[in-house]
Amino acid sequence: MTMQAGGGAGGAMDRPSASGLADVIDTILDKGLVIDAFVRVSLVGIELLTVDARIVVASVDTYLRFAEAANRLNLEESRSQGLPDLVEGMEESGAKSKTKGALQAAEDKLGELVGGGDEEEDVEEEEEPRSRRRSRR
Amino acid sequence: MAHSETGAARAGGKPRDAVVYVYGVVPADVEENPEATGVGEPPSPVKLVRSGEIAALVGEIPSGVALGTPEDLTAHARVLDSAAAEVPVLPLRFGAVVTDLDAVANEFLEPNAESFAGILRDLEGRAQFVLRGRYDGDAMIRELMDEDPRIGQLRGEIHGKPEEVTRDARIALGELIGRAVQAKREADTRVLASALDELGFPVVAGEATNEWDAANVACLVELSRQDELREAAERFAEQQDGRIDLRLLGPMAAYDFVLPAEGSG
Repeated sequence: MTMQAGGGAGGAMDRPSASGLADVIDTILDKGLVIDAFVRVSLVGIELLTVDARIVVASVDTYLRFAEAANRLNLEESRSQGLPDLVEGMEESGAKSKTKGALQAAEDKLGELVGGGDEEEDVEEEEEPRSRRRSRR
Repeated sequence: MAHSETGAARAGGKPRDAVVYVYGVVPADVEENPEATGVGEPPSPVKLVRSGEIAALVGEIPSGVALGTPEDLTAHARVLDSAAAEVPVLPLRFGAVVTDLDAVANEFLEPNAESFAGILRDLEGRAQFVLRGRYDGDAMIRELMDEDPRIGQLRGEIHGKPEEVTRDARIALGELIGRAVQAKREADTRVLASALDELGFPVVAGEATNEWDAANVACLVELSRQDELREAAERFAEQQDGRIDLRLLGPMAAYDFVLPAEGSG
């Protein structure tokens, strides 16, 4: 079987692939292979998280938020405010700051759920582990 | 610690004070990085358990601990995604734990060797990327008001009045907006997904997790074709003229392309 390291010479490892906890939750919860048959120890705290971290998009609460957003809307305001960078990407660390507001809200929400809630800010800054493939043999 | 009630599983004779957290499966020629850490507090070192041509990314953690903190979730993704940037990775769902290192090899890797190796071959050179679009709330409400006069009317009814006395109108207004946003989301997701499909990238459209989500699309992309993906994303974003804020995440493990239980397609 031929296996070759994709993505160039190692540099690709050095950037985070998701820009925050909210993205991580959306990306990994309920995803991936399940090996229930092999699991000998069940860990508490996970089920709760998978259920409650999901935002119910159609609910009275959501409707009230939509209505409030409409209420707050300033109709006199200029209608066209183009966004400077349309795509935030994998390389640019600037992506973090731009989405801070939305991510922060979700992180706070999760913090309450899991009883932590004090260290979210640091989560996205952690160093990257390198499980680098052996150089071509 | 007290004895585990699954006492019969003690055949290995090892003390049951540690269990093995499994992140995912990679080809066996991946190199272990002694500095990599994963779940747990303090973060546990990431190790490899090899069996034939495949290996599991694992970490030993104390038994009986509860995982599920933001740090654990992030660590799970970080371990898998940093590997996925270089090698094919079969991700396990967050929270998979096996009794010990021998069980990882004998009970997890070995019996599934063929299907795991097959999946890794399919993933060779590819990783998952996620495109996540978010509407600008104000711009979207303006768009909807232009399209449906009832929204402007109801907004007029509640504007500047306290929630307590306008609750019914607010719910009616919010429901109108909610349904309209949902329709927008479906339409915009279709446009984005078909743009990716045209490039030949397998696509999975995910559920909305935020009320202003415009699209949440995962695709499987050759690492050598990342530029094409980025260009397609930029084209889509430009067409939207500022109404959607689009982000490109990845490379990451192929979370959305691994089917639970079924070994192959």
